[in-house]
Amino acid sequence: MMTIRAAQLAAMMQAIARRVTAERELLNRLDAALGDGDHGTSISAAFNAAAADIAALDQPSASDLWTAAAKAMLNRMGGASGALFGTFFLKGVPPLRGKDRLNKSDMEAALLAGLQGVKARGKAEVGDKTMVDALEPAVLAFAAAEEFADGWRQAAEGARAGAESTRELPARRGRAKYLGERARGHIDPGATTIALLFEAIDGWWTGKA
Amino acid sequence: MSARKHKLINKPDNIVDEMLDGFCAAYSHIVRRAGDRLVLRAQPKAAGKVGLVMGGGSGHEPAMLGWIGPGLLDVNIVGDIFTAPGPERILAGIRAADRGAGALLCVSHHEGDRLNAELALEFCQAEGIDDVDMVILYDDISSAPKSRESDRRGTAGLFFVWKMLGAFCEGDADLAAAKALAQKVRDNTRSLAMSLSSCASPVTGEVMFELNEGDMEIGMGLHGEIGRGRQQALSADATIDLMLPPILADLPFQAGDEVLVLLNNSGSLTLMELFILYRRVAFKLREVGIRVYKSWIGPYATTLETAGFALSLCRVDEQLKALWDAPANGAYMKQL
Repeated sequence: MMTIRAAQLAAMMQAIARRVTAERELLNRLDAALGDGDHGTSISAAFNAAAADIAALDQPSASDLWTAAAKAMLNRMGGASGALFGTFFLKGVPPLRGKDRLNKSDMEAALLAGLQGVKARGKAEVGDKTMVDALEPAVLAFAAAEEFADGWRQAAEGARAGAESTRELPARRGRAKYLGERARGHIDPGATTIALLFEAIDGWWTGKA
Repeated sequence: MSARKHKLINKPDNIVDEMLDGFCAAYSHIVRRAGDRLVLRAQPKAAGKVGLVMGGGSGHEPAMLGWIGPGLLDVNIVGDIFTAPGPERILAGIRAADRGAGALLCVSHHEGDRLNAELALEFCQAEGIDDVDMVILYDDISSAPKSRESDRRGTAGLFFVWKMLGAFCEGDADLAAAKALAQKVRDNTRSLAMSLSSCASPVTGEVMFELNEGDMEIGMGLHGEIGRGRQQALSADATIDLMLPPILADLPFQAGDEVLVLLNNSGSLTLMELFILYRRVAFKLREVGIRVYKSWIGPYATTLETAGFALSLCRVDEQLKALWDAPANGAYMKQL
């Protein structure tokens, strides 16, 4: 059974930060259609802060890593995105506590707890044109797979398909909800960030595995 | 995408901090800066009184900075442009506001503000801070229909809550009474905004939304959120004649009521335009037998440089009139 050491997660977080930073302008453009146009700037700043904070930790456990990521999201980003991305990592902390090596079911537990936390906090379901549209299929695909490799790949595919599915939806949550039907035709930036996140993890895994 | 607007800033990353440096230097007799973008009263209120805390994104100046001071709020936690501050910073604000009688966290109803406030209260609970509560404030009739008032967003009309709640908490009110007073003011307040132009983000330089010259949008939110739809821009009188009736019908405000009126400049209208607009408001209110107790006209809760205004009415009784007339000394809210 393959496991991930906590120290490897620091490299995973750096891969996410690089990917989100590379797509910063795309995310800003997507957000300009539905919000105030700075999602790429703020989410890349938050993931870069998370990667830097994690790099500064001395022999962190998996839960330390998730805690540092949560704090970077909550404190550096702010807004609804900060609260929701922060909640995703914050709720993943208890299942990881005390673990130095993570097997697939540990990671699954952290991702599922994060998903449930985000849905409860934002009161959003699939179809509401939010990050949940990408996060839920990604996490469920990961959970359904047998091994990490399949899990990450299917999570990335699920997240991307979920993000694409937001294009034809009206907005029901967040500041975009006032656009309602006028939001159709635009992909949700938060869902796109989730797709980038799982694609970065998949890329990191295949580069390593 | 439209051309970038030139703004008189230095580095986009430093906007909020440099703004706070300037504000706190100019008004050092009223406010001081502490911690991670907290703005506090220069002289804290007396011990044993309920502290009032408000977080919020920047881009709405002088809100909320100008409302910190005697007779008003105690602590403002300042976020990035149009972005609510995170929960650990709100927690720091709650601690800073606590003078031994607890703190009330005032939340302008937007997704980001509410989610971060909820997280902050959970953090308080985890740390054993139990004399804290929050109140969600909203006033914009365009953002949800009547009977779904609690889905509405907070806009310029929160002005009335800051002033009267601030005065109330200079007395010996407890936390529960403070929250009830905030709800009373909120439940008697209704607002509607309109806009003739968009605004540009000082961070990205891009305009936030497109609005053609010669058009207007009724029901715009405080961050340029879309309202009830666009139409050709009208004269001042015709604009008021379109906006006032739905405000009056919503509460409803009735003949014999006494009201406070706020005509809030969203950014770049001229005072001349606001006075002309107010003239019509006063005329129409007189026509339906509603008495204006006091009025305020000016930029109190702005949306960067948006050309537009919000009209807010608050129905007052003797208690609220006395609170309105109580002294206040914030940088942008003075009451002798």
